[in-house]
Amino acid sequence: MSKIKTQVFVMAEQAGGRIRPVSLQIVGKARHLADQLDSKVGAILLGQNVTERAQELIAAGANSVYLGDSDSLHPYQAELYTEIIVNLLLEHRPEIFLLGSTFMGRELAPLIAAKLKTGLTAHCIDLLIDNEGILEQKIPAYGGMITIICPEKRPQMATVAEGVFLNPELDSTNIGDIIPIDLPEKFPLRVQTLEIVVEKPEGVSLETASVIVAGGAGAEDQDGWQQIAKLAEVLNAGFGSTRPAVDEGWTELETMIGQSGKMVSPELYIGVGLSGELQHMVGIVGAKVMIAINNDAKAPVFEQVDYGIVEDCRTFVPALVETLKKSND
Amino acid sequence: MIDFTFTEEQELFRKAAREFAETKIAPHVPMMEETNGGWDEVVKELAEAEMFAVTIPEEYGGLGMGYMGRLIALEEIARVSVATAMMYQVFGLGIEPIMKFGTEEQKKKYLPKFVTGERLPTVAVTEPSGGSDPKGARTTYKKVNDSYVLNGRKCFITNSHIADVQIVLAKDEDNPEAFTAFILEIGMDGFKPTHIEHKVGMRGCNTGEIEMKNVEVPAENVLGGEGKGLKVSMSAIGDAGRGGMVGCALGLQQACLDESIKFSNERILYGKPIGKLQAIQFKIADMKIDLEAGRLLGYRAAAIQDQGGRSSNEFAAAKYYTTEAAQRAAKMAVDIHGGYGCMEEIPVTRFLRDSYVLGPSAGTSDIMKVIVARWAVS
Amino acid sequence: MLNIIVCVKAVPDPNDADKLKIDPVTKSLPRSDISLVINPLDSHALEAALEIKRNDDAHITILCMGPPPAGNIVKECLALGADKGILLSDPAFAGADAFATAYTLAKAIEKNGAVDLIFCGMASSDGATEWVGPEIATFLNMPVVTMVNEIVENAGDEWIVKADYEHGYRKVKIKLPAVLTVTRNLNQPKALSFSGILKARKKEIITWDLKDLGVPVENVGLKGSPTIVTEMTRLESRREVEILEGSLQEKVDRLIKILKNSGVVNV
Repeated sequence: MSKIKTQVFVMAEQAGGRIRPVSLQIVGKARHLADQLDSKVGAILLGQNVTERAQELIAAGANSVYLGDSDSLHPYQAELYTEIIVNLLLEHRPEIFLLGSTFMGRELAPLIAAKLKTGLTAHCIDLLIDNEGILEQKIPAYGGMITIICPEKRPQMATVAEGVFLNPELDSTNIGDIIPIDLPEKFPLRVQTLEIVVEKPEGVSLETASVIVAGGAGAEDQDGWQQIAKLAEVLNAGFGSTRPAVDEGWTELETMIGQSGKMVSPELYIGVGLSGELQHMVGIVGAKVMIAINNDAKAPVFEQVDYGIVEDCRTFVPALVETLKKSND
Repeated sequence: MIDFTFTEEQELFRKAAREFAETKIAPHVPMMEETNGGWDEVVKELAEAEMFAVTIPEEYGGLGMGYMGRLIALEEIARVSVATAMMYQVFGLGIEPIMKFGTEEQKKKYLPKFVTGERLPTVAVTEPSGGSDPKGARTTYKKVNDSYVLNGRKCFITNSHIADVQIVLAKDEDNPEAFTAFILEIGMDGFKPTHIEHKVGMRGCNTGEIEMKNVEVPAENVLGGEGKGLKVSMSAIGDAGRGGMVGCALGLQQACLDESIKFSNERILYGKPIGKLQAIQFKIADMKIDLEAGRLLGYRAAAIQDQGGRSSNEFAAAKYYTTEAAQRAAKMAVDIHGGYGCMEEIPVTRFLRDSYVLGPSAGTSDIMKVIVARWAVS
Repeated sequence: MLNIIVCVKAVPDPNDADKLKIDPVTKSLPRSDISLVINPLDSHALEAALEIKRNDDAHITILCMGPPPAGNIVKECLALGADKGILLSDPAFAGADAFATAYTLAKAIEKNGAVDLIFCGMASSDGATEWVGPEIATFLNMPVVTMVNEIVENAGDEWIVKADYEHGYRKVKIKLPAVLTVTRNLNQPKALSFSGILKARKKEIITWDLKDLGVPVENVGLKGSPTIVTEMTRLESRREVEILEGSLQEKVDRLIKILKNSGVVNV
C-alpha cells in the first residue's frame, strides 16, 4: 500500500472505456485544492479493462490512482462500489472526497457519506479552501449563493456537475502511482445492476455551442415548446432547457442547463419563457450577449441579461421565426 | 368568538376543486365559447369528480358536504368557467327540493342516481311572463283520475336539454291560487326541451325552453304535496339557487382579480409595469375589498344553512352584493386591460359577458333588494 | 401484506419561489407565510405505493418530519389514499441537513415496526438534495435503488426496476425490504378526490417528538447535522438590461439587429 499522504480524493468514473469529462474536471479542481492544502490527489477508478485509463487521471493531476479492474466491477454495482470506496477512505482518511453529479455519483455519494457519518453537499458550483483549510462548498439557492461547510466530520464530501470546472490540461509527463485495490472476494449483492442500456447517442453538445436558445415553463405546452425549438433551428443554436420544462416532459433531462444539469458558455444566450431562477442561470458562464423573452416584467431574468423583451413567448417567438425566415430567403 | 377560518378539510376541498377546475374544466372552455355547446363533456367531468355528490347525504350515496362544500366547489369552478359553474349550480338547485321535500321513495329513486350523474335534475319555474312572480305562471295541471295532466311552457331554464329529471311548477287549472311541483322525466309523452338560447355570456351553459303538451304525470311524482308547490320551488331557489349564484359570482370576481394582477405586472408603460401606478392599484384594491366582503356574506349564509338554519335572506343580500361586485370587477378588469380588453381572445372579455348573465339569474338585483327590504323591516 | 412507508417532505410552494429570496441586508431568508405543499416528487412516491395497493394487499404509512403545519400535508396524503400518518415534529428536529433528516426518519421507521418497502421522491424541490433516501437505506441496512422510473416486476421479494442513467437506463434487481427513490416519470399522481378527503377523517395521524423516538438530542436537527450553512449572499444584477420597446414587430426587428451585431448568428 501507498505511503503517500493524500488528502483530496476523487471518484473517477468511466463509461464505455473512457473517463467521463466530469471526472477529469474534478481531478483538475482537486489538484488546485490539494496544492492549497499542500497535499496530494488520489483518484479511485473502478471498472473492467480500465487500467489503461489510469494514466489519464495522472495526466490530469492525480498523484495516485487506486485502481480496481475486474469483471465483477462491471456493470456498476452500488453495494460493491460502496464497500470498496468506504474501505479506501477509511484507510487513507482524506480531508475531501469529490464525485461527479452523474447518476452513479449521485447514488454512491449518499451511501458512502451515511456509512462514514459525514456531510455531503449536492451539485456544488464552486469549491474553495478557507483560511482554516476548510472546504467551502457553494450552491445557488433562494436567489443567491449559499456557502456550506462540514466543519468536523471527514471527509468533506461534495458532488459536482459536468462543466462546472474547466477541463484540465493533460500533462503526459506527470508521474504518479497506480495502486491496485484488493477487491473483496464473493460479495453478496442485495441490489444488482443487471444491465446498463444506452438508448440515445450523445447529441450535439450544448457545452460547445456558440449560440444557445433555452426554453422554460413559459412555453406552456408542447406546441409552445416546438416554436422555441424552431427558433433554435433557425439560429442553428443549441437548444437547452430549464428544470420546469424537463418536468413537463417537453424535453429530456440531458438538455437541462444549470446547477444539476449542464454548464454552458455560449457567445450568445437567448432565454425564452423562463424566469431566470439562479439554479438555471448559474449554468450559463461567460456569455457575451444575453437576451431574455418573458411575459412577466418582474421576472428575475431581466436583471441578468443585456436585452429584455416583455412579451408572451408564444406570440413573440413565432413572429421572430417568421421574420428571420423571410430575411433568410 | 367567531371562527372565520376554513377547516383543514375545507382547505383540501378547495384544493381538490381548484385542481379539478384547472385540469379538467379549463381545457373545455375555448370549445364552449366557440360552439355554445360542450355540456355533455363538462357534465361527464363533473360526474367523474364526484361534484354531483357534494350536497347529497351519505345515506343516499352522497358526500354530505353541505352548503359550505358546495360553495367552495362552485367558487373554484366559476373561477375557471362561470358557464360550467352555472350548470353545476342548477343541478344542485334541482337536487335540493328532492332532498328537502321528497318522499323516502322519491329520495331513494333519484338521489343515488344524481350522485353518479346517471340522472341529472333541474328546476323549471320561469315562464315567458317572468320568474320572480310565479303566480303569473300559465303552466297548468289538472287532476284526472289518479294522475295529473300538465300543459305549458317554461323558458330560460338552465340545463333544459341536459336534465332528464325536471321539477316543474304548475298551477291548478281550476284554482289559480293552488300551485304544485311535479317531477317530470324525459320520456313522458308530450314533455320535451325545445328552443336553445344563445346568451351574451356563459356560452356553453345550456339554457333553453321546455314544453309540456298533455303530459300525464303519476301522483307519486308530486313533490312536497299537492298545493305546496310555491313553498317547494321558492325554498329551493331562495337557498340553493341564490347560494349557488353567490358561488358563481365569487369565482368570477376572483378570476377578474387574478387576470388583472397578472396583466398589470406584465404590461409596461412609462418603463414600468402598470401595476405600479396608483390608478391601477386602486382598481385592484376595490376588487379585493368587494371579494373579501362578498366572501363573508356568502360563507356566513352557507354556514347558517349547514347549522340547520335558513338563510334565504342572507343569501339574497349576498347574491345582490356578489353579482353586482362581479359586474364591477369585470368592468375594472377590462379597463385595466386597455385595448386588449376589447379582444375576444383575452379572458376578461368573457368575464364581462359572463358577469351580465349573473345579474338576472335566480332573481335580479332589484328583486334581491325587495327581499332584503322585507327582511329589514320585518 | 406489504407494509409500505412513504417519506414525504412539506416544502414551500414552488409556485411562490420568488417570495423566498435571500434578504440582501440580513443575508438570511425572510420569515414568510408561503404555504407548504407536498414535495412534488414525493407525490410520485405516494402514487407508487398507491398503485401497489390497488392491486395487492398493502398498508401505506406516511412519514413526514416538519413543523406542526406539515400535518396538513400528511392529511392530504391520507386523503389521497394512504392509511396512516406519522408526523415527526419537535423543535429539536429543526435545521436538520440530509444526514440528520435521514437519521431521524430511519429511527421513526424502526420504531414503527415491520416494513417491506420505503418510497421517497428522488429529491426535494427546496434543497435539491437527493441524499435522504439512500441515507435512510444505509441507516436501516437496506438496499436502495435511486431514480427509479419504472417498476418492471414486483412479484415476491425480488423486484426488477429501471432507473435513470446517462442516455438510457439501468435495469436493477433488488431484494426486499428495500428503499426506492422515484422520478416523476414513474407514474402520474391521481387527483385529490372529495370522497378521499372525507375518508381521511377516520384515519390516524400520530405525532412523535424527540422523546417518543428516544434518540439523543445531539443526533438530530442542527446539532446532528455534519454540514452547516455559513453564509448566504444575494446575487446582485451583473448586467445593465435594456428592455426593448415598441410594437411586437418593432421588437422583433430590433432583436434581429441585435442578433446580427452579435456576430455569431447568420441572419
